[in-house]
Amino acid sequence: MRVNVDLRLKDVPGQLIRALEPVSRNGGNIVGVVHRHDQISAGRIGVNLTFDVPSEKVLEKVQAEWSGAEVDLMRIENIFETYPLEYVIVGDVSAAEMKRITEGIQALGQVESIDVKYSISSSKDKAAHISGKVRDRDIIKKSNKFMRERAKRSGFVIIRGFGD
Amino acid sequence: MDVALVGFGTVGQGVAEAIATKNHVLEQSLGDKVRIVAAFDSSTYAVDKSGLDPLDLVKRKAAKGKLGKVRKDSIAEMLKALDYDTLVEMTPTNIKDAQPGLSHIRAALGKGRDVITSNKGPLALKFRELANLAEKNECELRFEASVGGATPVINMARELLVCERICSIRGIMNGTCNFILSRMESEGIPYEPALREAQQMGFAEADPSYDIDGIDSACKAAILANAIMGLDITVHDVERTGIRGINLDAVNLAMQERKVVRLIGEVTSRGAEVSPRLIPRGHPLSISGTLNLFHIRTDLAGEITVAGRGAGRYETASAVMADIYTVMKLRRSIGQRD
Ligand SMILES: NC(=O)c1ccc[n+]([C@@H]2O[C@H](COP(=O)([O-])OP(=O)(O)OC[C@H]3O[C@@H](n4cnc5c(N)ncnc54)[C@H](OP(=O)(O)O)[C@@H]3O)[C@@H](O)[C@H]2O)c1
Repeated sequence: MRVNVDLRLKDVPGQLIRALEPVSRNGGNIVGVVHRHDQISAGRIGVNLTFDVPSEKVLEKVQAEWSGAEVDLMRIENIFETYPLEYVIVGDVSAAEMKRITEGIQALGQVESIDVKYSISSSKDKAAHISGKVRDRDIIKKSNKFMRERAKRSGFVIIRGFGD
Repeated sequence: MDVALVGFGTVGQGVAEAIATKNHVLEQSLGDKVRIVAAFDSSTYAVDKSGLDPLDLVKRKAAKGKLGKVRKDSIAEMLKALDYDTLVEMTPTNIKDAQPGLSHIRAALGKGRDVITSNKGPLALKFRELANLAEKNECELRFEASVGGATPVINMARELLVCERICSIRGIMNGTCNFILSRMESEGIPYEPALREAQQMGFAEADPSYDIDGIDSACKAAILANAIMGLDITVHDVERTGIRGINLDAVNLAMQERKVVRLIGEVTSRGAEVSPRLIPRGHPLSISGTLNLFHIRTDLAGEITVAGRGAGRYETASAVMADIYTVMKLRRSIGQRD
């Protein structure tokens, strides 16, 4: 899992190492460090850190080590890596069908967002663009399978994205 | 090297002409020339142990529509009796039963003769049987022209990328579909007129289903899956969706997202698929027009792209000539070893 934290450290040399070491010692991987020189207060400086840890348990260990090393944790946020999901469907794109599709994809779980855009045309065969973000790559495969089944049942053509 | 040419249409005639114009290159490089000792079309043939003049064969075919005597026996039977080193098989692709090409290739390999082919049918239906027969009889089975015309994707992947783990091959494998989709997107022409334009320009057949339903691409994807990924599949195992039904609305929606619609053949170690996909503009696979293009992902080299003309008399002959060269080179090195 990827985590983003705001830390406060003593503004003296060698302190940054005390913040980073617990992450690497516990098998984490540091992705980015940003010094917040604008956030100095009471002799303490702000640091924003992004890192990957293998599990919640490891994260708890890192937090415990920080508090023992006088590194203050001000804010913590999980960042989920997302994968794009994208289709253009051609044919019957009635509101009822779109509802079935978006609800079906959402029911697969781990879906962060899903958007639908319709074509503006007078032809009878319309098209719609569906895009979304999912938190698990496997969901893309499941969604592709779901879309193939729906296409067969409802007789529309799917043009799939390229991210899978 | 003595060759028997079977099939003397667009590709066969292009190969005969290329032999005439490039024999000096082979001789300079390998110290040997190609000699055509037999040539067959659907009903006639010409045989001469001392060699047939390639340009004479092309002229004769153009003038009279035939090569020589009317054939009474099957070509497969005649190939068993004839004396030649290498069969060059260029009869029409048939994906129902791969005939007559399958019998021709079996006859040559069965007799321990090398085979070069542009014919997709036998490879898309009976790849493993033919590859095993070639291995058992210690002969070469080469088929660069069967996928991508002049684009050297098979030999590149099998020979130049031999130390790589090939993760996937994605490609524009049918120029007709790419032409139609490109016209829809660049000129705003609807699907039907774009297809008719492709037919008038001679890209698409009168019955275009082989192209637009993705069958041609599926044959090529199956050949790549077998030859490069080591799978054992036929064209019928390829999951296939063509471009029929794709309308301007869909193409325009894709354009709003800075994407284009392309019919993509995709091959991985898990199998093969042909389907329309949304390709980001600027990606190599977003190419417009009639070219074929293959985008290969490997473990060491990363991404490699190769593009070229997927069809045509001389373009396809170019791939056959590359295989002829390699077979001659291998034969020479075996001769030197013995
Ligand atoms: N054209 C291309 O650009 C291209 C590119 C890549 C691969 N290929 C493949 O290469 C092969 C040849 O293509 P092509 O365009 O040259 O086809 P083509 O112009 O139709 O020529 C086919 C040749 O095969 C002969 N033939 C037909 N049925 C036969 C039979 N039952 N027994 C013996 N000979 C038979 C024809 O005889 P007649 O002359 O008497 O009709 C003709 O000489 C096909 O498998 C094709 O898929 C073609």
